[in-house]
This record gives sequence, structure tokens and C-alpha cells, in this order.
Amino acid sequence: MSNGHVAFVLNAHLPFVRHPEYPRFLEEDWLFESLSESYLPLLRMLNRLKEEELEFTLTISFSPPLIAMLTDNALQNRFVHYLQQHIELGQKEVQRCKDEQPEFLEMARHYLDGYILNLHEYEDLYRMNILDGFKALEQSGHLELITTAATHAYLPLYKEYPQAINAQIELGVQSFLTTFGHPPKGFWLPECGYYPGLEEQLRYHGISWFQVASQSMLLSPDNVTYGGYRPVSCPNGVAAFPRDYQATSLVWSNATGYPTDNVYREFYRDIGYDLPMEYIKPYIHEPEVRVFTGYKYWAITGKTDQKIPYVRAKAQERVKEHALNFHYMVNNKNHRLRGTMDKQPLFFLGFDAELFGHWWYEGIDWLEEVIRTSVGRTNLVSPSAFLAEDEGPLQTVRPAFSSWGQGGYSAVWLDGSNTEYYRHIHKAIHRMEELALRFPDQTSLKGRFLNQAAREVLLAMASDWPFIIYSRSSVEYAKKRLEGHIKNINLVYDDMCKNAVDTEWLIKAEKRHTIFGDLDYNIFNPERS
Amino acid sequence: MILINIDSLSTNELQHIAQMEGLADWNALDREQLISALEDWFEEMDEGALPETNGQVSYARYTNSLTNHRGKAVHFNDLPRTNELPPSYYDSTIHLLLRDPQWAYAYWSLPETIQGNKTSFDDEDHSNESYFLRLYQNNLATGEETSSDIAVEVKDQEWNIHLTAMGSSYAVELCRLYSDGSEEVIARSASVETYLPYWADRIEELAMDNDLFLLHFSSLVTKTGEVAENLVLKDLVSTVSKGVLG
Repeated sequence: MSNGHVAFVLNAHLPFVRHPEYPRFLEEDWLFESLSESYLPLLRMLNRLKEEELEFTLTISFSPPLIAMLTDNALQNRFVHYLQQHIELGQKEVQRCKDEQPEFLEMARHYLDGYILNLHEYEDLYRMNILDGFKALEQSGHLELITTAATHAYLPLYKEYPQAINAQIELGVQSFLTTFGHPPKGFWLPECGYYPGLEEQLRYHGISWFQVASQSMLLSPDNVTYGGYRPVSCPNGVAAFPRDYQATSLVWSNATGYPTDNVYREFYRDIGYDLPMEYIKPYIHEPEVRVFTGYKYWAITGKTDQKIPYVRAKAQERVKEHALNFHYMVNNKNHRLRGTMDKQPLFFLGFDAELFGHWWYEGIDWLEEVIRTSVGRTNLVSPSAFLAEDEGPLQTVRPAFSSWGQGGYSAVWLDGSNTEYYRHIHKAIHRMEELALRFPDQTSLKGRFLNQAAREVLLAMASDWPFIIYSRSSVEYAKKRLEGHIKNINLVYDDMCKNAVDTEWLIKAEKRHTIFGDLDYNIFNPERS
Repeated sequence: MILINIDSLSTNELQHIAQMEGLADWNALDREQLISALEDWFEEMDEGALPETNGQVSYARYTNSLTNHRGKAVHFNDLPRTNELPPSYYDSTIHLLLRDPQWAYAYWSLPETIQGNKTSFDDEDHSNESYFLRLYQNNLATGEETSSDIAVEVKDQEWNIHLTAMGSSYAVELCRLYSDGSEEVIARSASVETYLPYWADRIEELAMDNDLFLLHFSSLVTKTGEVAENLVLKDLVSTVSKGVLG
């Protein structure tokens, strides 16, 4: 048996947030922070390794809402402005640290250099579309790119609506095809949400594999020969990769994971909250709403509010240790499994892409170090390559209903805080199906009216809104968005029943929600062949 | 087709729609003429007239930049003419969603004459009626079906339902009980299924075999011994460890 085989799969997704009607909109920062702290540094790191001719393969899923935002001209321009503002702040910070807090000067310069580099690469190298950079890495064999559901819907709660499930999968595949020029082989199940039978629709759309939560093997009604350490074949032939909870927890655990180490940078201490209002005001939100600026100078230190200054060199040393520890843990496990498995195990690790760089500042450095030190230790593979190279058929198994959410099922997305919305979302789907059936193949304004209704239904299905409501983070915004989408579909339904089209609403809705420009509402027609 | 709020569109927007619809001389018409021409156009379309497109149908969407600047407001506004969400759709339906293998969430609605406390058109007196949920459990292995009733109030619209046995299919009916004891099924949900894990009744075998235990459990336990949070898993772990863990 060879070294341990590891599949790193990153899910790059953000909800569709776009409000150019405002000069700045708080929730748009989700995209800008992810671009600046995760996606661009990740691209930079992968290209560096590629230039050094290191062999590796990672897998990344790009959600259609993220693709829509990354290719949206208004948001692209706003991101340039965001970077320019952060460069201006960085220049002030370098001067301020020189004068007042020299212990932070190195990091102020480091952040400033990062923003300058981001701006240069974003404008000059990627021409404001970073997806081209990922596409090039896929073409060179360093990435496997995959898709996910159209608006990252948590699919088990829509099982009763196969037309909506189909729309989520079909549009996910279409979005990928349009963006990357070929159909995807893999499909990231949002929140690892799986219910038995979902694979039928995935196969219909040409998907070869998807991932499931760890426990879906142990809790399967079948005896899974290799537990959570091998992909299995669903009864219809689509492969399911169980996520290795143990290996993932080395990073993911918020109690013991690598990112919790005391020398790493503290995420929550930011000059946006720490410095005087008159100084920081031009770089936060109006009116005087303090936000993260990305300039953070403190180390985690421990469970105390008395933080010590962050020392980058120390953190980089720890990154090296944690990378080697990761290889040790994986190979130790691989070795222990040697006596029990007659086939090569695979350790499937799935993460949100934004964990690396944004939440865990050193995460991209760690990933780089894992790749650099993988030679002779660990084989980094993509799920598709593993399936292609694997010998013999996969065991046919029925994975169990599961998710990666708290409790392992649907409790996060069907919590007391968000259950009230399902009667409305389900009704919206039902009404959309009815409209598509009663008014098929409309063109002109009616066609646009119905297309917009379909867009609203899909946006209402996003897993983000119930998750945000559950996690009590940006509750007001999530509720407003969710309710807004449902109100919109209700308006279209009422008007269409009166043979009317509200042109003012239509124009404004089309301008507001620009996702899925080629959407055909007939996708919701239950009688569509 | 009726065009609602067409007066509220800018001249640019009206011109764009007219251009997309293929109206002749769209750029020579003033605002009032554009509105009139578009209203006539869509009225004709209702009568079966199809636009002349010379075989080319444009699906390009109207995406002029937004002009709706709202200053310092933190939250965006709803689009025009949208209404608040109704408390219910008053349509005699019931839905069952699986939260986990032990709990499901049911929501339902009744006609407005009952649930909305509106005057009944049929002049029937609903005051002596009561309502209940009938939960059907079908054992997937044996096919045996059992049922149990849960009393609900007319004002209720949702219920968390405990599912007593894995390996079963469940469906729920919303029922009305009349004062004379007769019952009426108002709506029935689609069914949800729970499957019994293979290891559920073989857990001792798993506990006694190191290799099996390694294969099936090690991917679910962190390096510090924390088991993945999952209520079914927790029951299995508790059994395996004879109550020491889990």
C-alpha cells in the first residue's frame, strides 16, 4: 500500500448579494473580503507552485451565485474601489504604526503589500475576472473544477419538489458549462445535504460523483465494506465520496483545529473596531458603522481579551509544524488501515474555500506547505482522477440521509428560527410550476416576467438565508432577502392570473437580480420533456 | 395583456422595450406615443398577433444601470406593489419535512373560512368541529402500518412530530372531527422515509472487532476523541461503550 491519498475539495460559495443602488452596501463586503483574502491569494499560491513544477491536484467548486458576482461588472468595479480604499488605509497605517505602534509596522506593511499585489493582479493579470485564472490551472491539470446547486439550496428540504431539484442541478451544470467550457464531473452537494434518490437527478445531468457527510456510510442500510475510507457507487452508478470527519477536523474543529493555535492571527481584533472613529471613519460604513478592515495585528493568544501582538515569523513556523503534523496524521491512519483494507483508502477533505485566508489567515500558507511537503508523504488527488485510476468496481451502497450541519441532518436549515419560511418557499415553487404549466413558452414581456419569477424562486431557495437566520449573524438582511423574493413571486403570480405584467416591477427586479441571464422559466414546467 | 405601471418607466426604458418588441419608428416617438404604441402592441398580442422578428428573437435583458439611489439607508426597499407575506395560503394542504430520523416538521393550512376566521360562504357552522393530525407509520421491512392521532387547535399551523422507529415511512393527514363523531381527511402529506442503519442491530459485532471498529468509527472521531455530533451515532456509541461514551 502506498502513501495516503488525500482529496482536498474546496467549496467556493457566497450568496448572491448585489446592491449597486447604494454607494456602499455592507453585505457586498462578503465578496470583497473573500476575493481579497481568499480567492486571489489562493490563485497566487497555486500559480507559484505550478511555476515551481510541483505536482498536486486540488478540487474547487464554484457556485453559480459566486460566478455571477465574480463576472459582474458593477461588482468588479466596486472591488477595485475596495482595494484602492484599503491601500489608502494601509499607507496611513504604515505611517501611524511608525509613529505610534512600531510593533505592528511589519504587519501593516505586509497587509499593504498584499492589497497592492491584489489590485495589480486583479486588474492587469486577470482583467477583473479571476475565474480565468482558475480555468488556466484546471487546463494545466492542477485543479479539478466542479459545480454545485444553482443557488446553493439545501436540497433535502425540497425533496417533494423534483422540478425545483432539477432546476437547481441543471442550472448548476449550465452555469459551469458556460463559464468553464465543458461539463462538470463532480457536484458539491450544498451543506453535504443528501437524501436517498438524489443521485437520480445528478446522473440525468451527467454528474459522475458527489460528496456526502461522514456518517452517511456508518448509518447506511447496507454494510459498507470500507467504511468512510473509499468512495461507493450509488445504486444508479454515481459515485459518493464520504467526507472524512476526523481528518477534516484537524483543520475544521473550532476547539482543537490548527486554526485555533495561539500564535495564529486573531480574526476578531481589527482596527475597524479598535481605532478612534475620526481616524477610521472614511474606511468603514456610513453612518459610522464599524466593520472589519482587514488590518488585524493581534495573535489569538488564548481565551482572553488581553491579546499579544501577532508575530508573522512565529506563525509561519507553526504553519510548517502543522503541515507536517497533517501528513503524519494521514499516514498514521493510512498505516493503521493497511491491515484492514485490501484497497487504497482515500481521505476526502471538504471545506469552505473562504476558511483559507479569510477566517484562518494562515490557511493558504498551510495549504501551500502541505502541498510542498507532500512529495514522498501524501498523494494529493482529485476525486475524478481517483475514480479513473482505481481498480475494480466500487461497492454499491445506499448512503444515508445526512448533512454536515450541526446534528448531522437538517436541524440547522429547519430550526425553530426559520421553519416559518418553508410554507412560503414551497408555495413559491408550486406557484412557479403552475405558471410554467399554464403559460408555457411565453416571449416578450410575459416571458421576461416569468423568467424573473423563476429567478426569485431560485434565489429564495438558497441555503444561506435559513443558515444566517439560524446562526443569528445578519438576520435582518437574510429575512429581508428571503421575504423579498417570496413577495416578488407572489406578485408575478397574482398579476399573471389577471393577464397583467407590472412593467415597473419587472424593470426594477431585472436590474436588482441579474443572476441567470439566460434562464428559461420553462425549466419549472412539470410536463417539460 | 395589461401593462401595469408603464407610466412609471423612463423614456429610455420605454424606448428599449419598444426596440426589443420590434416596433417601427420607436426612436421617433415621444413618451406619450411610446406608451400608447406599447399598450396597443400588447393588446394586439393578446389577439394572436406575433412580433415581426425576421427569425431573430432577442432574449437580451434590460440592464441599464440603477438610478434608485437611497442615500444612507441601511436596508434595501421592497420592489413596488409587493405585499406582506400572508400568514397562510388557506389552501387545505399539509407537508411533512424530515428534520432527522427522529423528528419531522409538519405545516399545513386550512381554508380561510376556517383558519382565517372569515365568514363562511356556505353558512356552515364550524364551531363544533375539531382538528387532529393522523400520523401513519409504515414499517419498510414488514409493510405493517400503524397510526396515531395528535389533537391540534384550529389556530395551529405547524407541529414537530416525534418519529418513533427508524426503518419506517411516515405520512400525516390533516383531519376534521365533526360533533357527530364522523371524520374527514382534509389533506395528506407526501411520505418521508427513515432507514435502519445496517449496524443498528449488529452493534456488538462492531464493538468486538477492532478492524471493523477502525473502518467504521475512526473517520467519525476527532483526534481528541469527540464523536461527530449525530443523534443516531450517539445512540450507537453509547451502546458500544456500554454507556461510558455518548
